[in-house]
Amino acid sequence: MNASKETGARMKKKSKTVVKDKWRKGLEISVLSVPALIMFLGFVVFPIVMAAYYGFFKWKGFGSPTTNGTFIGIQNYITIFSDAEFRSAVLHNFIIVIGSLVLQAPIAILFALLLNQKMKGRAIIRTLIFVPYVVSEVIVGTGWSLMLQSEGAINAVLKRIGLQGADWISDPKIAMWTLLILITWKYIGFAVILMLAGMQSIPEELYEAARVDGAGFWQLQKSITLPLLGPTLRIWAFLSIIGSLQLFDLVYIIWGQYISSTAGTSTMATYMVREGRVSSNYGYGSAVAVVIFVISLVVALTYQKFILNRDLDGALTEKPSKSKNKSVSAVAEEV
Amino acid sequence: MSSAVSYGRKDKNGYRKSPKNPWGNPVVYFISLLLIAICIGPVVYIILGGFRSNAQITNDPAGMPNPWLNKNYLAVLSSNTFWVELVNSVIVGLLTTIGVVVLSLMVSFVIARYDFKYSKVMYSLFAAGLMFPMTVAITPLYLLLRNLGLANTLAGVILPQIAFGLPQTIIILVPFLKTIPQELEEAAALDGCSRLGFFVRMVIPLSMPGVATTGILQFIGSWNSYMLPLFMLSDPSKYTLPLGVQMFSSQHSVDTASVLAFTSMSMIPALIFFTIFQKRIVGGLTGAVKG
Amino acid sequence: MRFKVIAAAAISVATLMSVAACGGSNTASDGKVELEFWHNATTGDGKAYWENLAAAFEKKHQNVTIKIQAIQNEDYQGKLQTALQDPNSAPDVYMSLGGQKTKDMIEAGQTIDITSDISADAKKNMASTLGAATFDDKVYGMPVSMEPGGIWYSEDLFKKAGITEPPKTMEELNQAVTKLKAANITPVALGGKDAWPAAHWYYWLSFRECSAKDFSEASSGKGLKADCWNKAADQLEAFNKTNPFNNGYLTTSAQQGAGSSAGLLANHKAAMELMGAWEPGVLKDLSPDGKAMSDLGYFPFPSVDGGQGDPNALMGSVTYYSVSPSAPKKEAMEFLNYMAETKNQEGYAKAWNTFPANDAARGVVTDPALKTVLEYVKKSPDMQLWLDTQLGSNAGTALNTSVVNMLAGKGAAKDIVTAANDAIAKG
Repeated sequence: MNASKETGARMKKKSKTVVKDKWRKGLEISVLSVPALIMFLGFVVFPIVMAAYYGFFKWKGFGSPTTNGTFIGIQNYITIFSDAEFRSAVLHNFIIVIGSLVLQAPIAILFALLLNQKMKGRAIIRTLIFVPYVVSEVIVGTGWSLMLQSEGAINAVLKRIGLQGADWISDPKIAMWTLLILITWKYIGFAVILMLAGMQSIPEELYEAARVDGAGFWQLQKSITLPLLGPTLRIWAFLSIIGSLQLFDLVYIIWGQYISSTAGTSTMATYMVREGRVSSNYGYGSAVAVVIFVISLVVALTYQKFILNRDLDGALTEKPSKSKNKSVSAVAEEV
Repeated sequence: MSSAVSYGRKDKNGYRKSPKNPWGNPVVYFISLLLIAICIGPVVYIILGGFRSNAQITNDPAGMPNPWLNKNYLAVLSSNTFWVELVNSVIVGLLTTIGVVVLSLMVSFVIARYDFKYSKVMYSLFAAGLMFPMTVAITPLYLLLRNLGLANTLAGVILPQIAFGLPQTIIILVPFLKTIPQELEEAAALDGCSRLGFFVRMVIPLSMPGVATTGILQFIGSWNSYMLPLFMLSDPSKYTLPLGVQMFSSQHSVDTASVLAFTSMSMIPALIFFTIFQKRIVGGLTGAVKG
Repeated sequence: MRFKVIAAAAISVATLMSVAACGGSNTASDGKVELEFWHNATTGDGKAYWENLAAAFEKKHQNVTIKIQAIQNEDYQGKLQTALQDPNSAPDVYMSLGGQKTKDMIEAGQTIDITSDISADAKKNMASTLGAATFDDKVYGMPVSMEPGGIWYSEDLFKKAGITEPPKTMEELNQAVTKLKAANITPVALGGKDAWPAAHWYYWLSFRECSAKDFSEASSGKGLKADCWNKAADQLEAFNKTNPFNNGYLTTSAQQGAGSSAGLLANHKAAMELMGAWEPGVLKDLSPDGKAMSDLGYFPFPSVDGGQGDPNALMGSVTYYSVSPSAPKKEAMEFLNYMAETKNQEGYAKAWNTFPANDAARGVVTDPALKTVLEYVKKSPDMQLWLDTQLGSNAGTALNTSVVNMLAGKGAAKDIVTAANDAIAKG
């Protein structure tokens, strides 16, 4: 009798704390997340929603879309997809996506391997390799356009060693390559640092075990480093793809407002600015913005579904403990 | 444990070092030097260009300064414009960084350590922000800030930058915070620490490497940001350095050497900042990519 | 990433964020008035001119302060357009965009009718230029300068190549190009990076090729229908085949630095350039010694065989300043009328090395090339506005880019007209 009374009291108390805990948890969650949510919803999501709304209007940017524009439904979207200039911009974006991956991944891995060796001055080299990433697009654009002009430094050097220069920026046959090389130059530092970080999280014991079995340097990299670098590579690729789809500053500064499509380096974002802001078709420009968003989202989701989810569950959240362990043991067996 | 094994433990990833040569492989140095030359060549070109005269640049675009002139740099250093823009860039950079880091750390903690229904939704929401470049929303953003009375103010640049900086930072910080062992949290709870107490006393210090990484990335991003200030700021006394570089190069378009000097001066602070903190970047990313 | 959730969240925020606008009024209770004034002269004498003019005006009107904002020309349109969205913080007096854009602004109520507030003097002296700022018989701006276009050339280089007379027809121009090339001189400088300098070649050719009726039909939004528009494109294609332009013209900017097209002419690295009458001022800034180019000559755009356009007619622009509806109108108009005074217009002409809008102020034009232009201005019927300004920015941008495309060999001549008509339909 006494005992049951006691239990009841305890249970009551416990349920009270549970409720209190729950309430408290909710409060903590709100206190910690509301400021960020407000900022994000206010300054990112809200403008995006407005852009989507403007996208249904034919609007020149004078006055407001509702009074000075005309509601035209999805007409802007129809125009976008029937515009050959837009399609070629999309094509350029995908060339940049693929080009960046193909050029940067091997270079970054090699450089990271190199910088992961014990050598004098490693810290300095690591700093210097990051320099292009730290320097702003405006400066990179200004500096490189000066050097790449037909009368610029690059051609002068080539002439000195007896080679024929070229119109690096304006020749449509070369311009895209120039852009790809500039992108590689600008962003390789970031890739290298990521790869380095990935390599340093590979357990040293694996290498030791393999070495005991007499594996050579390249064999070690091939059978241990590369497979275990998988998650890092896939995350880097994800960031690189998103960046490539949204490329804007570099192209805009070097090729200006108009001629990127002539030179064959236009991207969806430069198309948006030229057809929207520069042409004062604000409604149309907003619709292009929405299309860029949707394309990025579709690419990202596809990538996540087929490639990234090996490492990360859902939206990049959970740890890939399973797959990682598996690959580690597989590698160990192989070696 | 033999000494050979423990020796091998130090050098990473299977590079077999010959004990006779403490310097390592000469090929490695050669490739490294080549790599450095490619990376910093253009930057050095800009800096050296600032020491030349326009005639030197026109006559031989690829030459060395001869003689070395420091009047271009002195002119930049003694101009009010440069210092005003430098201060603006520093203010915007620091406040953006602090804002992004503080807000992201709080919300990442919630996403990583609280078990609740909307945690995943919240994460997806922020992650979706990555897909949307600021360029796209610039017109509505401008109108919004104008309505808030923030157009042509530094706050009008800082607030959107904080908001657009959240996705990247949260994506790096959440996996980082998840790696903090559950046991630590339980231990803290036994000591009578509340969840918030745990956050303040344990999570913040433990997440410093991740915070440093994201903070540096944000600062550099803000330092280099061009589009948003271009649209938000019209008063030259509020310009940040990238705008200043643009304006300077169109105002002094004939004077290439001065433009190069101004350009070099505007990148040097970011380079110094980065050099000081670069060691921390790798540390923070290690946590993030391991996840 | 669930789109539905994002969308739902976004919508709720959108409702939340319908914040009340908070704007400031310009007129304070003590009678002090602040005028916000936007122009695009960020450098040199032009910038100084506005600063001095504002200071002198403030001296005469103690209650007025003028807050100047000088905005880089290439950013000007975008910034002005966004700023005018919100009448409370729009500039009070600003350089207008002209043509179709001004029409759009009138429609959106962002610029006001100033017909009855223009001083009698200004009305009389600006007779030849006020028309450019007049829409439906109402005046919407105060002109400050007039910039007819044409070909600017180096007399020395022409002499060197053995060209004695400036070309009058396209045929003669082609001969001049051949002679210059034979003398190893780059015939024509072209700032292709900015697109419009290239498009000006097309505008002029169609101006010579098409009748005035075709032009007014195009301006009324009906598109480029007549056959002459395609003929002009063919003409340009044929001209381009002779490789008249400087190397790498596609990435050459119009006015920035010694490597720009104007810089090439100023440094005698190219013999001629097609430009507006702001050219002498620009060349002066870009010449090695900062002095006006001593051997600068001018000839109007050559006529074409069988063209229906008046060979004497000129195309160009008139720069004028407008007032926004939220401005303190009395003070703003006093400022505009002050700008138009002959003395100040003379100062303007000197500072920019160009034509003042005020007829009475034209006496100060001393530059020989500009004086030649003046001769032609007298012969010309009413000046036609640049075609891109006339058609508005969407058709203008489409024309500009498609011309560059064609020159670079990326499109056919007929694509120019198609692109313009598509853009007119799009906008």
